[in-house]
Amino acid sequence: MAHPADRPEEFRSDSALGAAAPWSAPGSVQPRLNRPVADRYPQIRPTSGYGDSRIRRSGPGPGAGTDHDPERSAMLTGRLVVVLSVVVGQLWALGVGVDAWMQGHTSTAWWCTGFEGLSFLIALAAWRFGPTDH
Amino acid sequence: MTDEQHPGDADGSAVDETAAEERSRLQDRLSADSLTSRRDYLRVMATVSGGLVVGSVAVSAGVLPRHGDAAAADVQPLKVVDRLRRGQAVTFAYPTEHDRAIAIRLQDGTLVGYSTVCTHLACGVLWREDRGAEGELYCPCHEGAFEPREGAVVQGPPPRGLPKVLLAERTDGSVWAIGTAYSDESRLHAACRELNAKDSGVRLGHVACPNSARS
Ligand code: FES
Repeated sequence: MAHPADRPEEFRSDSALGAAAPWSAPGSVQPRLNRPVADRYPQIRPTSGYGDSRIRRSGPGPGAGTDHDPERSAMLTGRLVVVLSVVVGQLWALGVGVDAWMQGHTSTAWWCTGFEGLSFLIALAAWRFGPTDH
Repeated sequence: MTDEQHPGDADGSAVDETAAEERSRLQDRLSADSLTSRRDYLRVMATVSGGLVVGSVAVSAGVLPRHGDAAAADVQPLKVVDRLRRGQAVTFAYPTEHDRAIAIRLQDGTLVGYSTVCTHLACGVLWREDRGAEGELYCPCHEGAFEPREGAVVQGPPPRGLPKVLLAERTDGSVWAIGTAYSDESRLHAACRELNAKDSGVRLGHVACPNSARS
């Protein structure tokens, strides 16, 4: 008789409880791998811990390899779009500032510099203060 | 590692394996470096943004050379030509030998002077009498053109009008260059500004220049 772990159909759950999209649900597509550690390795006692010489690596565990925060990627694209728009605005402001300065409107040129500085702060914020990356 | 240290076959293959693993790890690292991820791009663009701020500060602080900014000592009157007939133009250098300029007598007798350094990418501007209603200052580099009365852009990519050179005519008919203006600055305003600068406000006191919205 095969080991229970090799009979995955017994561990397949039919209830479609998880509302998450299949591609974002944590865990493996093989339900037998989603059992708690104690079921997967009955030889390991709850007290074994990492002191157990049979445990060489902690392993990836359930949820490994899936996107933990599916919106993270879209957020990154969004931040990039913000920074690119800011840079386009800065190039425009630089053009305006150079023209103003060449025409003798020094104060206008300084206003443009102020605008550039504020834009840079926005770009800096979009760059630094994103959601924490894994 | 040499063979002497690892004479055994088994040891040799172990060394080979480690070396291969090392190599593949290095390869992984190199190929990861060659990809520009969105996160890298974000960092690069944020840096570019900071560079633009530095550039803008430099521009406002005045690192670029500007026509009309010549030190008062440089702006000495210069005799351009003894006589300029209608429809004639003459090129000269003013206020320094590196500043190319042109003096033109339009058909109606008006005397105008301009820097001939294009405001687009600094090519030499040419006087073309056959263009436009009264002739045009034409830049062959990217087909920019300026009208001859105020130096305003009438065609092409130049972002600003041509800076004027202030000209004066003596009773004997000789034409003199007496000052320089900024791009798009009126002759009156430029003359007033330079007078104020030369005088340091001692004799004239600071005269409020016309259109002095300019700072
Ligand atoms: S340099 Fe004169 S039009 Fe480009």
